Amino acid sequence: MTAAPFTFGLNSFGEVATDAGRVLDDGETVRLLVEEARHAEAVGLDVFSVGEHYRPGHVDTAAPVLLSAIASATRRIRLGTSVTVLSTNDPVRLFHDFSTLDAVSNGRAQLVVGRASATDSFPLFGYDVSDYEELFEEKLELLMRLQREESVTWSGAFRAPLSEQRLRPRMRPGGIPTWIGVGGSPNSVVRAARYGLPLMLAVIGGRPQRFARHVDLYQRALRQAGHGARPIGQHSLGFVADTDAEAAETWWEYWKPVVAGLARERGFYPPTWDVYREEIDHGALFVGSPDTVARKIATTAHDLNLSRFDLKYDIMHLPREARARSIELLGSEVAPRVRELLTKESRHV
Amino acid sequence: MSDLDFGLDTFGDVPVDDSGAQVSHARAIRQLVDEAVLADEIGIDVLAVGEHHRPEYAVSTPETVLAGIATRTRRLRLSSGVTVLSSDDPVRVFQRFATVDALSNGRAEVILGRGSFTESFPLFGYDLSDYDKLFEEKIELFVRLLDEKPVTWEGTLRAPLEAAEVFPPTESGHLPTWVGVGGSPPSVVRTARYGLPLMLAVIGGSPTRFAPYIDLYRRAAAQFGTSAHPVGMHSPGFVADTDEEAREVYWPSYRIIRDRIGALRGWPPIRRAEFEAEIEHGSLYIGAPETVARKIARAVDELGVGRFDLIYTAGAQPISARLRAVELYGTKVIPMVRDILAG
Repeated sequence: MTAAPFTFGLNSFGEVATDAGRVLDDGETVRLLVEEARHAEAVGLDVFSVGEHYRPGHVDTAAPVLLSAIASATRRIRLGTSVTVLSTNDPVRLFHDFSTLDAVSNGRAQLVVGRASATDSFPLFGYDVSDYEELFEEKLELLMRLQREESVTWSGAFRAPLSEQRLRPRMRPGGIPTWIGVGGSPNSVVRAARYGLPLMLAVIGGRPQRFARHVDLYQRALRQAGHGARPIGQHSLGFVADTDAEAAETWWEYWKPVVAGLARERGFYPPTWDVYREEIDHGALFVGSPDTVARKIATTAHDLNLSRFDLKYDIMHLPREARARSIELLGSEVAPRVRELLTKESRHV
Repeated sequence: MSDLDFGLDTFGDVPVDDSGAQVSHARAIRQLVDEAVLADEIGIDVLAVGEHHRPEYAVSTPETVLAGIATRTRRLRLSSGVTVLSSDDPVRVFQRFATVDALSNGRAEVILGRGSFTESFPLFGYDLSDYDKLFEEKIELFVRLLDEKPVTWEGTLRAPLEAAEVFPPTESGHLPTWVGVGGSPPSVVRTARYGLPLMLAVIGGSPTRFAPYIDLYRRAAAQFGTSAHPVGMHSPGFVADTDEEAREVYWPSYRIIRDRIGALRGWPPIRRAEFEAEIEHGSLYIGAPETVARKIARAVDELGVGRFDLIYTAGAQPISARLRAVELYGTKVIPMVRDILAG
């Protein structure tokens, strides 16, 4: 393992919560996220990130705006995204937003950019899904040039050219930490390596160890591009409760309808309890007691050479008390336990 | 006169520290957040933050700054001043301000405008020759979004929408939206046509010059059958303990920024006598609290406006003087104006 301390993040997709059976409205959920980010900081978690979605039940359409409010309500926790849909954003506006966030937060801003698994933003903002790959490639190039160069002259196919453009507010030299989120495309992995950017693996189904070949590819591509080692992180869904049974039963109640909806939308089989159990025991769901989740994270971290793990803790209508307890346990029990397990392991090596 | 609102406006000017050195953009933004916290504590009604893409100004995205202010304040309303709608996407603008509204428990408002600067056009790939058309089309879409119902829309400058739902909706069901106008009668009429409140940028000359615009707004609203809201005005100024101090602090940084912008617009350099005349008879609200209060009260009375916003920053001013100006405006000027108008 690397010497750097293992980083723990919380990811939210801005999903509406319930309170004593009542579904919170979008505004209440927005404010709940601020509260949860404060809670995450209080229990010692390192990063709080929000996604970007354009569908009912999600309140994260304006991630940098949300994060800026959180910045003023916290002191230490880093603030990021999970992920920013770079393909349908303007890199110039993103620069404005994240340099502003970095200012408000006194240097705590970071970004994970990705191509997104949901495509709602494409028609909404007038992009063609068939340009999926080219859009990301072009926008990443511009975003990184804006961060790394003071004055940018640029032209491309999807946005107006820039001529000796200096954006404001100025960002700290070199830019903010920018990760590439990948779902499983080798091209994306190689691209991250080419830019020398850290890699965030979105492991949302199946055995996490499947991603070992991506990790291997990433490390080879980094060497080939002449870059040193870069951090690798993992994002997965999960839920921590006091016991394994409680965690599994609670999460099932809220996970099942969400996955059933996705199954209808994307044409795969609806979830069954057996499939669910399999995902918990051997797959991508980090659901259980603190000890169970810690062991699973430590094992995966070892297998994939991770230095960061982000738990996506919210899911549609999950009660706010359950969300709070999960955050609490992740920070106060899971994180220290994982660090302890990883330290022990490195002593044995 | 309790229905009268008082605000502060800023473009996020980069100030200087005690040693006279310009601070970083990042520090300028944090300074602005601190000033907003002070404004909230002393009961100022609203803070409006402009959008600019120039080196003198640290704010290019007002709503991200306003969000940073939202969680440190309790009463202050959070506004843009203005959001350059012509070179932005109405859908994004709505999403972002609706998020600020949620974060602030219903304190967000947006002032839409065409912008008095043009840097955003090439930056975001818009053609200045579409100046009018851009605003017309985008405000039409924005007003549709304000209904907070699925929108089907088609135009020439943005992708069409097909029963699009835009999230998050506001809790009140209404995002307060103004239109900022600099002096164009068609803009005044358009604002009345949409039934939106009007914010007049009165940045030079006698405020009474703007009386015909207010009259036009009311007549147009009557003709369209829309509601005419109380009109707002915003003007530049600065408050210090004495008249002399206010002028001496304001003049050097004002002169630099005024001449820099003037050079772009073909204005001759400003002379001290013009500056003094603008304070005496025009649209600079500079002086001790009583001087500024009397001047605001006169303008408010003459124009019959329901809101006055003081643009309190102008170039590289000292941070300490800015903070003092905010404090005096909130604790002295506003109560004095209310007293004068009540008496």
